[in-house]
Amino acid sequence: MKRIISGLWDGKGFDIALVVVALGFLMIFAGLPLIYNVVMSFQKVDIFSLGTFARPFAGFDNYRAIFADPIFVPVMKNTVIFIVASIVGQFIIGFSLALFFTLDFPGSGYLRGLFLVSWVMPGLVVGAIWNWIFAGDFGVLNFALRELGLIGGNIFWRSDTNFSLWAVIIANIWLGTSFNMILLSVGLASIPRDLYEAAELDGANALQRFWTITLPMMRATIGAIIALGLIFTLQQFDLFAAITSGGPANSSNVAQYWAWELSFREYDFARGATISVLMIVLVMIASVVYVRSTRYEVRG
Amino acid sequence: MGMVRGLLGAAALAVGSALMASTALAQTTITVWSLDDENQPALNLAREFSEMDNGITVVYREIQFDDVVSESMRAFATGQAPDIIAVDNPEHALFAARGAFLDITDMVAESDVIDPDSYFPGPLASVMWEGRLFGVPKATNTIALYYNKDLFRAAGLDPDSPPETWDELVETARTLNDPANNVYGLAFSARANEEGTFQFLPWAQMAGGGYDNLNAPGVVEALELWKTILDERLASPDTLTRGQWDSTGTFNSGNAAMVISGPWELNRMLAEAQFDWGVALLPVPHEGAERSSAMGDFNWAIFATSKHPEEAFQALEYFASQDPRLFPEWGQLPARADVDLPETGDALKDAALKVFLEQLQYAQPRGPHPEWPQISRAIQTAIQSALTGQMSAQAALDQAQATVDGILN
Repeated sequence: MKRIISGLWDGKGFDIALVVVALGFLMIFAGLPLIYNVVMSFQKVDIFSLGTFARPFAGFDNYRAIFADPIFVPVMKNTVIFIVASIVGQFIIGFSLALFFTLDFPGSGYLRGLFLVSWVMPGLVVGAIWNWIFAGDFGVLNFALRELGLIGGNIFWRSDTNFSLWAVIIANIWLGTSFNMILLSVGLASIPRDLYEAAELDGANALQRFWTITLPMMRATIGAIIALGLIFTLQQFDLFAAITSGGPANSSNVAQYWAWELSFREYDFARGATISVLMIVLVMIASVVYVRSTRYEVRG
Repeated sequence: MGMVRGLLGAAALAVGSALMASTALAQTTITVWSLDDENQPALNLAREFSEMDNGITVVYREIQFDDVVSESMRAFATGQAPDIIAVDNPEHALFAARGAFLDITDMVAESDVIDPDSYFPGPLASVMWEGRLFGVPKATNTIALYYNKDLFRAAGLDPDSPPETWDELVETARTLNDPANNVYGLAFSARANEEGTFQFLPWAQMAGGGYDNLNAPGVVEALELWKTILDERLASPDTLTRGQWDSTGTFNSGNAAMVISGPWELNRMLAEAQFDWGVALLPVPHEGAERSSAMGDFNWAIFATSKHPEEAFQALEYFASQDPRLFPEWGQLPARADVDLPETGDALKDAALKVFLEQLQYAQPRGPHPEWPQISRAIQTAIQSALTGQMSAQAALDQAQATVDGILN
């Protein structure tokens, strides 16, 4: 008895207990809903069978219906554009800002902190603000662009099929940039200064230092940022709800918003779940790529 | 030890509250869910009914418009449904057809207060399923054409002869359209939600179509007309993404010369609009054509799972008995032909009321059909893909009709 208890506190038993707690937590709060979601995608579910578990089995009907839906291809295309453009935009602006703040000018610490304001605001609030900025007839953005002479007539950001998706992307880049900047700032701060000094002594210019020291040393941080960016953009729902509602004519509809529409607008929970499963597959592929890319990492 | 004492304390507390509950056993508690706030009828009526000396206490919960269906169905699925709910009329059949609502046909037959024959046919049809009554209309509304008389005068139009046909509407919109001063000829909503369906169906019905006959030639013509209005910028491109409330806001601020919306706008318009305005019946396809309009607003229903159906029905009877107060106190229209609406003394409001009451006679319910959300979705998709130029009006409506056929058959 005593040995078991001491084994729990010390040695292998303790390790196992820790792993079991973590795994149990993960299983209950992430694993079960995930499995439930997958099961649901193979069933026929409507609002009245939502409460029971014994629902008619549908085989691959839901998957077939989703793939055959005329909006499947445009929605997937929008999703990819949204993810890539958001991540690229957030990363480039975030990285530029992070580099800018390493210059350590007076007040840079406070300013950097202030940037986080955008990150702590709820998505719906951000959406409402951008809604006003993007408004077609009386929007601030149109006014600014017109005064600058960049556009002749108003752009209907939310109602023009050519711009609606980009309106959400712009808002999302604004929302995510500060988070990117903070994480990248931390990464930049952890690079030993003497590396730069040595490089400078060897005559490396700023671009060379960036290319041969900063980027390779930041590899793990960048990988994490992009993986997190993928998750955050796939989660981004509020902005769509607040700015375009996926419209007009599905021109800004993306997978996550479509899943919600099917579930809570048409009450077809099974098809909503099916899209979620497809999204999980997408994230899994991305995480495998991420894990593999960091596996052989050399830590400095 | 401390924990044991804590447990004992909790047990004592539980016994105590159980005792307290039993002394108040004479009171029956029913729950009512509705979207009304303190400026609207349901909350006030529920409170009044609760305060009456009838042994019934009402617990009222306010739910947001968008959450009514999802919230109540989640509650129903887990056995937590309220006794009474106010549900949007096109969604009534969704619940009634699946046995979630109580069949109150027999209770109504014995009631001295509720008489089905006193209701307008449209609202009544929305609470019926397979010839049985599954609720009572709570109020009703419809849409008509508001127009800015000052802008009519300024453009040399007669403010007392608003457009009566579709062609006249477009012509008038062209005349009133004034981009230099940020004035659009017309405002309406073609949004991809129930509002878009609500605004489009009257046009389809006037042209001889309907939700089950979407690719009739008249319906195609109606959608092409909408496209003309948007293509010529007679209405803001944001019509595609803006709801009725926001569209009417642009009318109130003088940035649209006409707007298609309902009587729920009246109070705000009286407060905000700094100009002379009037209301006209929805223009028809051509002179002498059949009129039609949309029928909106909510219905009362009792959930089949209610443990106190008698008491819940008493509450409905009380709500219905107060229908004459709907318009004077809260600006809502009772769904009944036997309720006289007294003049409010406000000339604009009284004139508007007259038009809305006439328009109401042509109002048709959406459905009723248990798959209404999917039918509505098909209509919204057609409207949006035609108006954005992704498809011709004909092709979009053909596709919608095919989807609806799949649902109906």
